[in-house]
Amino acid sequence: MPKYDYITLGLTLVLITIGCFTIFSATSSATSEENGFFARQLMWCILGVLVMIGVSLISLKLINRLVYWFYVFTLFLLFLVLFVGKVGQGAERWLIVGPVHVQPSELAKLATILAVSKYLSDKYADVNKFKYFAIAVGLILLPFILIARQPDLGTALIFLALIIPLLYWAGLNWFHIFTILTPLLIMILSFNFWAFMILMISIALVLAYSRRKPIVLVAVFLLNIGVGIATPYLWDQLRPYQQQRILTFVNPEKDPKGAGYQIIQSQVAIGSGGIWGKGYLQGSQTHLRFLPAQHTDFIFSVIGEEFGFIGASLILLVFLLLILRFIHIAAVIRGQFESLTIIGILTVIFFHTVINIGMTIGMAPVTGLPLPFLSYGGSSLVVNMMMVGVVLNISRNKFIH
Amino acid sequence: MNELSRQQRKARRLVFNISVVFVFVILYIGFFRIQVAGGEKYYEISLDNSVRQLVQYPVRGTIRDINGQILVDDRPSFFVAVIPRQLTYKTIDTLARIISVDPELIREKIRGRRTYRPVYIKKDLKYAVIAELEERRLDLPGVLVEVESKRFYPEGVYSPHIFGYIGEVDKSEAEKNSDIEAGELIGKKGLEKKYDTSLRGTKGVYFVRVDAEGRDLGIINPDRNIEAISGMDLYLTLDYSFQQFAESLMVDKRGAIVALDPRNGRVIAFVSKPDYDPRLLSGKISKEVWSKLQSDTTHPLYSRGIQSVYPPGSTYKLVAVIAALQEGIITPKWTAYCPGYFKLGRKTIHCWNAKGHGNIQLREAIIKSCNVFFYQLGLKIGIETWAKYSMMFLFGQPTGIDLPNESRGLVPTYDYYIKKYGPNGWTRGNLANLAIGQGELLTTPLQMAQFAMFIANKGVVHRPHLAHYLYNKDTQKRLFFPTETNYIQGISDDVYDFIREGMKQVVAKGTGWLGSIPGIEVAGKTGTAQNPHGEDHAWFIAFAPYDDPVIALAVIVENGGGGGVVAAPIARKCMEKFFYDRLLPRTYAIKDTIRLDSLENLPPIDIEEVDRLRIGRSE
Repeated sequence: MPKYDYITLGLTLVLITIGCFTIFSATSSATSEENGFFARQLMWCILGVLVMIGVSLISLKLINRLVYWFYVFTLFLLFLVLFVGKVGQGAERWLIVGPVHVQPSELAKLATILAVSKYLSDKYADVNKFKYFAIAVGLILLPFILIARQPDLGTALIFLALIIPLLYWAGLNWFHIFTILTPLLIMILSFNFWAFMILMISIALVLAYSRRKPIVLVAVFLLNIGVGIATPYLWDQLRPYQQQRILTFVNPEKDPKGAGYQIIQSQVAIGSGGIWGKGYLQGSQTHLRFLPAQHTDFIFSVIGEEFGFIGASLILLVFLLLILRFIHIAAVIRGQFESLTIIGILTVIFFHTVINIGMTIGMAPVTGLPLPFLSYGGSSLVVNMMMVGVVLNISRNKFIH
Repeated sequence: MNELSRQQRKARRLVFNISVVFVFVILYIGFFRIQVAGGEKYYEISLDNSVRQLVQYPVRGTIRDINGQILVDDRPSFFVAVIPRQLTYKTIDTLARIISVDPELIREKIRGRRTYRPVYIKKDLKYAVIAELEERRLDLPGVLVEVESKRFYPEGVYSPHIFGYIGEVDKSEAEKNSDIEAGELIGKKGLEKKYDTSLRGTKGVYFVRVDAEGRDLGIINPDRNIEAISGMDLYLTLDYSFQQFAESLMVDKRGAIVALDPRNGRVIAFVSKPDYDPRLLSGKISKEVWSKLQSDTTHPLYSRGIQSVYPPGSTYKLVAVIAALQEGIITPKWTAYCPGYFKLGRKTIHCWNAKGHGNIQLREAIIKSCNVFFYQLGLKIGIETWAKYSMMFLFGQPTGIDLPNESRGLVPTYDYYIKKYGPNGWTRGNLANLAIGQGELLTTPLQMAQFAMFIANKGVVHRPHLAHYLYNKDTQKRLFFPTETNYIQGISDDVYDFIREGMKQVVAKGTGWLGSIPGIEVAGKTGTAQNPHGEDHAWFIAFAPYDDPVIALAVIVENGGGGGVVAAPIARKCMEKFFYDRLLPRTYAIKDTIRLDSLENLPPIDIEEVDRLRIGRSE
């Protein structure tokens, strides 16, 4: 009997339990219409645990065989949702099947991770060759485009965040990563002439020491200059409302319609928690309902107010340990497919966690990304549990003891 | 190859671990900063209850004439709003008594809104009411007195059809534009509507701390505040003293004057009478005033210059002449015989001159405006060619002036008659009528002024516009609007020369002689349009000076009578004022009477009716 990974299991259960308690607090003084949140989340948690255990016990070979079908199926759902989906409170879209509301973009995360991992674990796959690199990126861009059109930009960007960790783990060498990352940096810095110049000089220096073929060096250098020149031009081509939309995404405090209000309220709630917090169910900001979306996107504000710096730090620590544990498993596991899958899963959980929590203290944009395991919401919770199930499954089968 | 070596994995694992821990450390620092270092400050704020988001309304831009004279100004006006979450029944009752409204009305407005966002209750508060509200502020938690701007018109400024008015946004408008919230003011008509976004400016937001009583405890974090941006000032192309003069010519009449600068399409004067005092519709619009304006049978809310459509009468004969000459259907030598009437099948139609014009050549026919000549010419041209040229000269479509709700008029085609009246709907009688600008043909006064510009410029048409430029007070920059120019091709210079010469003769010695002014050659054409609403409409279109036109205009007086007698003198006065800045003494006696006795309060042709016709046609 192979060993079950009780560390991962334990940390996950701690997180969903905290989530339930916090949702109870966040909605306990709510009006009647919101009363059911705690009960429903409890139900989702039970379902999530069942799904997690189920996924962890099925045959890994079967998963491996079904990967591409799963990917195509979720793409189909994403396509469908563009036409028949119902728009939710944010920009995300839902499919409604009878009483069940499904958010296909959640499922697509897992499907994409599995598909890319499988593709890159092929015997002949070499990410340093253009063909394999391009197809792997293409597998990620497809769902990205479909979700960005919903237009749920926050969730879509999570897909882009997958590219570098996955390819890096699959063996992409530092020079290629450098080639991907520099144009992105250039894009941001190209609006300031001096920043642009300094960056170009550093790029030139790095290139000079990289000992690549001169033609490659010139090409990379020209690409960067091209991006640097084109970006401000393309920006000017955008219509003012498009520019506004992008600026609001990056800097929501400047959006007079409410994001600034949300951040201030969240900061007041978290800050007023102080070191020790006001105590469970004692948060005045929470219970006077000054907090926006306090049971979903801003759930960490409730934790910050009621449990203080100590509580918030501990929960952050649980997230950190879970992610470090995943990295550990990915590093010691046998099999490229399994290892890459775990890297993909931890990347998604990491970005969700950091962006959501960063948002509550005004350090990250308000994107509407839920906090894994804690935020209210069935689709997100069940898919996160499914991901943990995959990790448990892999660790059960492929651990090197 | 595909599986990394143990060594490589180890290196990559280290990179991952370091990156993840690094990001978490940043988060920890963030929490430390606001919870441990800033905890006291935030705790105090949370004790004081809360932060409220207040909207700072921008000052709406002014509207000025070309010289910078203020025509529409902005002045502060006080209104009362409430924070629904902080209201009690007692407060509602007290507030209702002070501002004298029904408490039920307040409850209705806040129903279903348990928010901290202020909700408008009443506008245009009197100073005594404001004073009482301020005094009793402690008894009225959740009640706010705020200031917003209201339109103010200096003395002597009217022209409601140019400026339009602003009013509370209605539901459908608010849905279209998420920046606007219920109760806010937006442009509803005229330039106020057309340039609403520029005039309105951008709302600001500031966050203040408030206690449980709703008292302002000051700004919480100045960095998060966003200043309101004032609206831009709109400068017009017209000189308002001239506009006022033109309006004075029409005070006792129904109709319109549209004068354009043919060199660039600028509107020099835009008069539509009867109109109303724009002060009636500034700020809160009272129900009685509104329903009185709406039910007035002279339709003062109607912007006749662009919204009313009329048969153009004989002014439209020019179109037939151009079409016939350009297509080579006739030469200027072509002659017709006018016995004073014309037999078409069993029907007899009469010339306006019952004695007849005898044998008459094209130029003479224009000067004397002989109907029989044009009946015959129309039959030669045919409906297709006639409609083609009408549309080419931009009839039947909006001119694109920068005013909303412009009517497109109607150019009937063969298909139109068949669709409307069935397979036998088209008769040659229709064509005879259309050639003299009667029948189903409908034009707006602005379209006629545009037509005058077209002939004055020999084919060049600039889009008519009232806005000269927008002035941004913050950046001190002027934002000019480009002149949109359209050249109508396919008319030869000979034809232009002939038609312009004809128009000159009309004023020099023909039906338009009352439109002539000393020292300047005027070219024009009169029209006397029969219509189903009584006395004929008097038309006159003109441009001047003949060689280098700087003004092109159209005048219509509804049910005024003969175009030469009624409309031409009005155009003459306009042009004298324009060129000499005064009216010149006449060397001859003028019979310039208006037939007031026959003036009935009849509405102009309803554009909705025409639209319905158009829809029926396209079905």
